[in-house]
Amino acid sequence: MAIVYSSLVYLGYILIFPGFLFCFVAGMLITGIDRKIVAKMQKRVGPPILQPMYDFFKLMGKETIIPAAANKTVFLAAPIVGLAAMVVIQLFIPVISTPILYGTADLIVILYLLLIPALAEIYGGSASGSPYAGVGLSREMVTIIACELPLVLIFLSVAKTVGNAMGTGLCFSLSDIAAYQAANGSLMLKASMIPAAIAMLLVIPGETGNHPFDAAEAETEICEGMLAEYSGAPLGIYKLTHAIKTFTLTALFVALFLGGIGTGIVLLDALIEFAICVVLTIIFISLVHAVTARLKIEQLFKYYWTAVSAIALISLVLAWFGM
Amino acid sequence: MFKNLITESTAKSPWLFHINSGSCNGCDIELVAVLTPRYDAERFGFKLAGSPRHADIVVVSGPLTQQSLPRTLRAISQVPEPRCIVTIGSCPQSGNVFKGSYSVMAPLSKYVHVDVAVAGCTPKPEAIMDGLVQATEILKEKRKAWLEAKKNGLKDGPKAETEQEVPAAEDVPASGEEVQQ
Repeated sequence: MAIVYSSLVYLGYILIFPGFLFCFVAGMLITGIDRKIVAKMQKRVGPPILQPMYDFFKLMGKETIIPAAANKTVFLAAPIVGLAAMVVIQLFIPVISTPILYGTADLIVILYLLLIPALAEIYGGSASGSPYAGVGLSREMVTIIACELPLVLIFLSVAKTVGNAMGTGLCFSLSDIAAYQAANGSLMLKASMIPAAIAMLLVIPGETGNHPFDAAEAETEICEGMLAEYSGAPLGIYKLTHAIKTFTLTALFVALFLGGIGTGIVLLDALIEFAICVVLTIIFISLVHAVTARLKIEQLFKYYWTAVSAIALISLVLAWFGM
Repeated sequence: MFKNLITESTAKSPWLFHINSGSCNGCDIELVAVLTPRYDAERFGFKLAGSPRHADIVVVSGPLTQQSLPRTLRAISQVPEPRCIVTIGSCPQSGNVFKGSYSVMAPLSKYVHVDVAVAGCTPKPEAIMDGLVQATEILKEKRKAWLEAKKNGLKDGPKAETEQEVPAAEDVPASGEEVQQ
């Protein structure tokens, strides 16, 4: 009986909160707000805030065409694998204070899980047999590699700072990081962590593939790259994964740098987290989208491996010397 | 449960795919004007899609030259159902000033079912917008008809409007070859 009950609870976690349903609503709303704000910045009226939901449900009702050259199984399975990985990350990220799943190396697991949606897209794209997808996936790989280095440096510097305080060397556990912040105040307030926080904010648009770092799915240039052959429900799932990714990465920022501000009530915490995510999205995704033009892939790579990595490295060095 | 939601969403999120079939660029500019800040079609959910597979509404401009006709039809047939075809300008309707030329194959309605035709040379952005909004209503009707047919036992829904045989791109004589009238 107890097993049935606990598995039902876990199913609830996965499907409703903080799993699929919560991610779905939060991701869609954040994307909608992003589109609206970009429109306002370009002096347009802009779409309704629920527009991504309309897009998603419309795509669910469309015909799904499978190209003759495609590998059917991989083509259809890839979007679902990507979405599943994206939802699992959300279980690891504490809603301000308590995560559902936790262990000793959450951050490393998250680093790997963040790769899966992008890899799924690469597999799906290459299975579709389109030359546009070929161009798109080669660029996507470069984007992944470009964003990975600063992200690892950021995670290391946070792990070192918390680990120093806990006396464990490196601390990759997000629940420990949350506990440390609840006791000592947010990491954002620590002088040595400010460069890492800035670097993380610069990494977010690159990881989500937003303007100006969307060379991999430049719609005006290579027909959305890997998605060129997708239609109907699989395309809708990819759009949903993208929307959730924006929310996940901003939530990860909140967990890493703005922890310890919770009230203890889960629903209220979720609202606070969502509000902070919206503010971060507006400033670091919408504003950047509205004022910049698309970067070439080599410019993107250079930017992340020099400027952003250097900023993250400052934090790591400071953390290593115990500051 | 989701059926009504999907039907409602179909009219609210139409993505456009634009085909220029030998247009003089006049209508294309007007379509761009529809999408840019002054008229901002995005407030109705319109978005320009890069690939025909993502589109709901196919916008065709130009008098359908002999070279572009098979490609236009091929692109249209790649758009998933339910789809709408909107022509902009007088060219795809009648051939306009190019009518009678050996290389002009207009009207488009000879080859596929055209849902909305916006006339004018060039039509005003307001007229194009009106045509596109009408097309969203037709999209919704098509979705409803598809659901109805599914209920009545047709497994794959009604076949799309009876399409004429699409001439393959290879059938079109290469430029320079003599064309038999």
